Amino acid sequence: MALFLAVIIRDLQLAKRHGTDIAMTLAFFVLVVALFPLGLSSAPVLLSKIAPAVLWVTVLLSAMLSFDQLFQKDYEDGWLEQLIFSGLPLSMLVLAKACAHWLITGLPMLLLAPLLAVGLNLPSKSYPITIFTMLLGTPVISLFGTLGAALVISARRPGLLITIIVLPLLIPVLIFAVSAIEATGDWSAIRVRLLFLGAILSAAIPLVGIAASNVLRQSLE
Amino acid sequence: MISKNYRLGMLIGFLAFIGTAVALVLIAFEDSVVFFFTPTELQSKQVNPERRIRVGGLVEDGSTKRGPADAEIRFKITDGNTTVTIRYIGILPDLFREGQGVVAQGYLQNAVFQADEVLAKHDENYMPRNLASAMNK
Amino acid sequence: MHHISNMNRFFCIANAILPIFCVVSAGMFPVGLYYALIESPADYQQGDTVRIMYVHVPAAWGAMICYLTMAMASAVFLIYNQPLANLAARAAAPIGAGFTLIVLVTGSFWGQPVWGTGWVWDARLTSVLILFFLYLGYIALANAFEDPDRGGRAGAVLALVGAINLPIIKFSVDWWNTLHQSSSLWRIRGPSIVPEMLLPLLLMGCAYFSLFVVMMILRLRGLYAGRLLRQMRIAAASR
Repeated sequence: MALFLAVIIRDLQLAKRHGTDIAMTLAFFVLVVALFPLGLSSAPVLLSKIAPAVLWVTVLLSAMLSFDQLFQKDYEDGWLEQLIFSGLPLSMLVLAKACAHWLITGLPMLLLAPLLAVGLNLPSKSYPITIFTMLLGTPVISLFGTLGAALVISARRPGLLITIIVLPLLIPVLIFAVSAIEATGDWSAIRVRLLFLGAILSAAIPLVGIAASNVLRQSLE
Repeated sequence: MISKNYRLGMLIGFLAFIGTAVALVLIAFEDSVVFFFTPTELQSKQVNPERRIRVGGLVEDGSTKRGPADAEIRFKITDGNTTVTIRYIGILPDLFREGQGVVAQGYLQNAVFQADEVLAKHDENYMPRNLASAMNK
Repeated sequence: MHHISNMNRFFCIANAILPIFCVVSAGMFPVGLYYALIESPADYQQGDTVRIMYVHVPAAWGAMICYLTMAMASAVFLIYNQPLANLAARAAAPIGAGFTLIVLVTGSFWGQPVWGTGWVWDARLTSVLILFFLYLGYIALANAFEDPDRGGRAGAVLALVGAINLPIIKFSVDWWNTLHQSSSLWRIRGPSIVPEMLLPLLLMGCAYFSLFVVMMILRLRGLYAGRLLRQMRIAAASR
C-alpha cells in the first residue's frame, strides 16, 4: 500500500512540475467539444441530441493523447528498470500508475464535463447520469491506456499505436455510457448500463494489473 | 522480495474484483440490454416520448392497412400477449410480411408507435418454399 | 538453437500435409459453391438471397477459429517461449482479418435486402467489428518493434486480453435481443436448417477450413524464412 501511494504521489509531483502536459490534454478536450456548437450553430436541437456522444468521444480521444508518455520517461531514465529488479509487486505499480493517470487527466475531464455539457445544450436532467458514467468509465480508459502504454514501450510511433490498440477495447464503454445518458428518465435502462460499466471497471482492474505487469517485465528482458 | 502473504492478499484481491464483475453482469442480465423492446415491455414501463427506441415483434395477421397519406402504412405487432400499433411512412423491406418478425425504430406517442425506420428480423429457420407451404397446411 | 530442430520437425509434418489440404480446398470450393449457388433450394422467405449465407457463415467460423488459434499460440508463446507459437500467432492474424472482412462485407450485402439495412449497431455486428479491429491492432503492434520477439510478446498480451470478445460474439445473439438471428446449427434441439441447405454450408465450411490450413502453413514458411534471414543478417553484421 505504501508503494502504491508513493508511486501516485511521485506521478502527481511530476505532473505538477510538467504542468503543461496536462493543460494541453484538457485544452484539446475543451477545444474539440467547443467546435461542435460552432459547427452546428444552426441546429441546436441536433446538438443536444448528439451531446452525450460528442462528450464521450472527445473524452476518449483526448485521453489517447496522454498515454504515450506514461511509461516512456520512466523507461528512458532507468526508473522502471530499477523498480522491476527491486522485486516489488509490479501489478501494484501498474495500478498505481493508472490511478495517478486518472487523477491527472480523468478527474479534471470529469469536472469539466458538466461545464462543457452546458455549451452542448445537454438537457439538465441528464447531468447526474453523465457524471455517473464518467465516474465509472474514465477509470477504465486510464486502465486500458496504461496497458497500451506498457505494450508500446520502445515501439516505433507509440502514440498512434496506442490509439489503434486501445480504442477498440473501449468501444463497449462508449456504447454503454452514451446509451445510459440517452436513456435519461428510464431508470431501469440506466441501471443496466451502469451495472455493465461497473462490471467492466472491476474486471479491468485485475486484468490490466496482471497483463501490464507481465508486459513491463518482458520489456526489459 | 514479495512475501507469500502479500501474494496471497493480491490473489484474493484480484479474485474479489473478478467476482464483483461477474456478479454485476449477472444482476444486469435480469433485465438485459436490448436492441429492441417487446410490446409487453413497452406497455409495462414509462417510455419518454422524446426518446428514440426500437420495438420488435411479429406483424399481426390482417392488421396491415394503407393509411390516408402517401406511402403511409399502419400495422400491429405482437409478442403473443400485447400488441402495439405502428405507423410508418416509407418503403418497407422485402421481407416484411404478416406473421414475420420486424423491428421498428422511432418514438412512442399517444400509444401509437411513430416509426421512422422498419427493419425485418429474420429468424433462424431456413427451408425451401415448398416445404414451408407444406408445413403451413 | 535447439529450436531449429524443433522447427524442422514441424515443417516436415507441415510440408507433408500441405498437398492434402491443397487438394481438399481446391476440390471443396467448386463442389461447395455448386451446391450453394445452384443445387440448393431458395429460402421460403429470403429467396435466392439466402445463398450469401453459404459464404458468410463459414467465413465467420474461420474468423473465430483464427482468433482462437492466435490466442492459444499467444498463450503458449508467453508461457513456454516457443518461437513457433509466435510465428503461428503472427501467421493467423492477417488470415483472420481477411475472414472477418468477408463476414462484414457479405453480411452487409445480405442485410441490405433482408433487414432493410446494411449495418446496425447491435451486439453481434458491433462485437465482430471489434474483432476486426483487434486483428488490425495485433498486426500493428506485433510489427512495431525492432525485435520480433518483443513485438510478439506485446501482441500476445493484446490477443489474450481481446479473447474476451470471442464468447461475447458467440453468445451475443442469445444474451441480447439482437437484430441478427441466433445460430441455426448449434442448437439443443438440432439444427433449424433443412438438410439440403445444411449440406452446402458444411461443404463450404470444410473448404474454408482447408484453405485456412493451407494459408497458415504457407505463411508460417514465409515468416520462418524471414526469421532465418534476419538471424543471418545479424550474424553477418556482427562478424
